[in-house]
Amino acid sequence: MHILMMSLYAAVTATVLATIESKPDNFRQRLIHGLKVFAAFMGIGLILSWILFPIPW
Amino acid sequence: MQSRNDVSESLAGRYGSRKSPPPAADLKPYPMATRVIAVVLAWLVPGAGHLVLGRIGRGLLLLVLLVGSFYFGLFLHGKLYVPVAADPPSPIHFDLISILWSFAQVGAGLCYVVAHAIGLGVTGRPESPTYEYGNTFMFLAGLLNYLVMIDTFDIAAGRRR
Repeated sequence: MHILMMSLYAAVTATVLATIESKPDNFRQRLIHGLKVFAAFMGIGLILSWILFPIPW
Repeated sequence: MQSRNDVSESLAGRYGSRKSPPPAADLKPYPMATRVIAVVLAWLVPGAGHLVLGRIGRGLLLLVLLVGSFYFGLFLHGKLYVPVAADPPSPIHFDLISILWSFAQVGAGLCYVVAHAIGLGVTGRPESPTYEYGNTFMFLAGLLNYLVMIDTFDIAAGRRR
């Protein structure tokens, strides 16, 4: 459930940010930008979860 | 003594490469009234500002994503926040966190107003396992819509396509 919600959150955020980003000139660049944002959200989320897992509170 | 224009030209020459690129010729700023209407519409209905400015695809995508995100949050038993009085009393009268959460959700415009009017999520269900997910998606929709409003203004001002 957690990973599903995180993926959905990252997908919505990445799509909106890629849509309103001004730098990409064409669809392909915009798509790559969105995928990078999505990957950043997922990667940082997973890293943080691994770091926080051993902490008891 | 150098005049103000001389100083400006001197600085422009020195830092010329740092100047923002000139806008493309086909970028035409809309009148101020249109800009204001587009931004207000963008707040009321996420994506509507882009639709008004002729960015149909982008507008529809934002509409579906942001409105969908907000109501998905309500579906997950999220709560509609309103500023509540601080307990114990504080100098700003209202509980600060309730102000911030309300600000985040109010960004979704009419989604927030309509949900409030029909009583969706007014009480919230903290006992639900998806309660926090729901809140998060509702905050997300509102906060992203603030960015969309800024983007709408930039398009209307002729700063970008």
